[in-house]
Amino acid sequence: MSIFEYNGSAVVAMVGKNCFAIASDRRLGVQLQTIATDFQKIYRIHDKLFLGLSGLGTDAQTLYQRLVYQHKLYQLREERDMKPETFASLVSARLYEKRFGPYFCQPVIAGLSDEDKPFICTMDSIGAKELAKDFVVSGTASESLYGACEAMFKPDMEPEELFETISQALLSSVDRDCLSGWGGHVYVVTPTEVKERILKGRMD
Amino acid sequence: MDLNMDLNAPHSMGTTIIGVTYKGGVVLGADSRTSTGVYVANRASDKITKLTDNVYVCRSGSAADSQIVSDYVRHFLHQHTIQLGQPATVKVAANLVRLLAYNNKDMLQTGLIVGGWDKYDGGRIYGIPLGGTILEQPFAIGGSGSSYLYGFFDQAWKEEMSREEAEQLVVKAVSLAIARDGASGGVVRTVTINSEGVTRKFYPGDQLPLWHEELEPKNSLLDVLNASSPEPMNI
Amino acid sequence: MSTSAIDVPPKGGFSFDLCRRNDMLAKKGLKSPSYLKTGTTIVGLIFQDGVILGADTRATEGPIVADKNCEKIHYMAPNIYCCGAGTAADTEAVTDMVSSQLQLHRYHTGRESRVVTALTLLKKHLFGYQGYVSAALVLGGVDVTGPHLHTIYPHGSTDTLPFATMGSGSLAAMSVFESKYKEGLTRDEGIRLVTEAICSGIFNDLGSGSNVDVCVITKGQKDYLRNHLLPNPRTYVSSKGYSFPKKTEVLLTKIMPLKDKVEIIEKGDAMEE
Repeated sequence: MSIFEYNGSAVVAMVGKNCFAIASDRRLGVQLQTIATDFQKIYRIHDKLFLGLSGLGTDAQTLYQRLVYQHKLYQLREERDMKPETFASLVSARLYEKRFGPYFCQPVIAGLSDEDKPFICTMDSIGAKELAKDFVVSGTASESLYGACEAMFKPDMEPEELFETISQALLSSVDRDCLSGWGGHVYVVTPTEVKERILKGRMD
Repeated sequence: MDLNMDLNAPHSMGTTIIGVTYKGGVVLGADSRTSTGVYVANRASDKITKLTDNVYVCRSGSAADSQIVSDYVRHFLHQHTIQLGQPATVKVAANLVRLLAYNNKDMLQTGLIVGGWDKYDGGRIYGIPLGGTILEQPFAIGGSGSSYLYGFFDQAWKEEMSREEAEQLVVKAVSLAIARDGASGGVVRTVTINSEGVTRKFYPGDQLPLWHEELEPKNSLLDVLNASSPEPMNI
Repeated sequence: MSTSAIDVPPKGGFSFDLCRRNDMLAKKGLKSPSYLKTGTTIVGLIFQDGVILGADTRATEGPIVADKNCEKIHYMAPNIYCCGAGTAADTEAVTDMVSSQLQLHRYHTGRESRVVTALTLLKKHLFGYQGYVSAALVLGGVDVTGPHLHTIYPHGSTDTLPFATMGSGSLAAMSVFESKYKEGLTRDEGIRLVTEAICSGIFNDLGSGSNVDVCVITKGQKDYLRNHLLPNPRTYVSSKGYSFPKKTEVLLTKIMPLKDKVEIIEKGDAMEE
């Protein structure tokens, strides 16, 4: 078994018109045994910047703590929030630092820039950035997420339609993955508000 | 199949390299094949590398290791030449190669032949094989192709050869090794060093002598297709 | 481990503190992950008045196509570019590190960077890591001494060639170069040959795919032709897309309005000299 499959996860982010959505499942398992069904996999860095971490839960939380710490130092020093691109480079640098003994997690970064231009990006566990214009996925359900997103995504969606699309992509994908599921957690971020929703999903 | 088979195999030179002394100087010779596993990564590489104006080195084994060793030795010899105010001797060059090869013997997979001319000792050849030994020899052979050449050199090498005899011996020997050793191939390159200076020569693969059961070079299918005939398949 | 009470930001270099834990996990039978690779076709050639580099745009993770349009021609200096194959993180990191070293060197000397400088810095880094940093590169550029093309292998060995290919599609691309390359190609002939070589990688090698990127470098000028050719356009997408008549079941909604950022301008006297 791969170390990525120990806890199980599914994370996806999509771009809409002047907005973005980031979604994850809510399961935390130890191999096939479910431990929790309200596990946070998406973290807020600042109002318009979110980080999803799939993979090994312990590494995800450790990495998140280090990143938040560094982001707070940045805020104090610079008196402003980090741009999503800058934050992606920070995550990439922190991961590549451990090139020969990596954190076993695959981050998804989604944010709005100062001009409210959406930015999404994912990385492998050693920080190889993959910038995309449409959607990014990660976690044990990534294979089915690729297929679902490839079919369901269309450019320039409004926030509500974006929410429906990302939710349906997530739910249909995790239904084909034993290791993720148990509901979903979706953030839709527009220039004016952040809408957080908990989705109902299959409980098996 | 591993998608990156050629990337992950170390880049090495299954090689034939030769150094021969003659009356008045030395001749260095090498083939030009660099391979990664079974893929020929470079068919026209130059394995005879300049260290100073009057000293060259033939490289075999891991390409990365032999390049780094010769780069370091070239750097040290430049400094040495400036401090000394005159050209470095072949002996100094060979001993620098030996020093690096010996001190890092656990790390390096390379055998080198240093050859050159200086005013004190004339033409000199030094072999520095795997462990970092230094051997002053009248002639030295190295690389995977050398196993086919020991008997030939015992028979064909003579003391006090002329320059032409020595050059012909080297070209013949490398072409013999190319014929039998799968890891050697391409062209034959030679470097002749004597009191007059340095001469490089190049012998294309299709102009080398043919040995037992070797075939004449034929036109490739590409030449046939590119020929002016309108119906290439009728040839 | 750091001895100070708080985790001080690192000063650079690799950190090996998770290696022992990861080895322990590997010994327990938990397989280590596969990394993002660019199972690639990258090529370069020297033409009449400069160098042309080419690359495909597929990134893979095992058998999955992770990125359909990634950039594999990396910037090194205004007059030098570098194609990367191998582990994506390594090619990206090594080219970024060397390009910043070159920038600092230019500030220091006030002269244009040379291709051999980039070559030496790259091979020094890769040799130091003994092949564990798996980056296979095609480096090309035009400097004061003319056009140069080099290949660099993960173990740190380098070659100097008039035409070069690398990556999993290198055999397919090399067969095109070996049959059609000649000295003194014009710019258009060169671009066409590079495109053809990359296409043969795209269509014959499973690790390579999508589009063709080309970069033409001549004396004092460069043209980065991103997506020069798109031989694999998407044809299966429906213009309307999907719509979902039945609304997704939502258990809880939380709305957080975002405050406008207020810019504070401190009032005070204008600065005087």
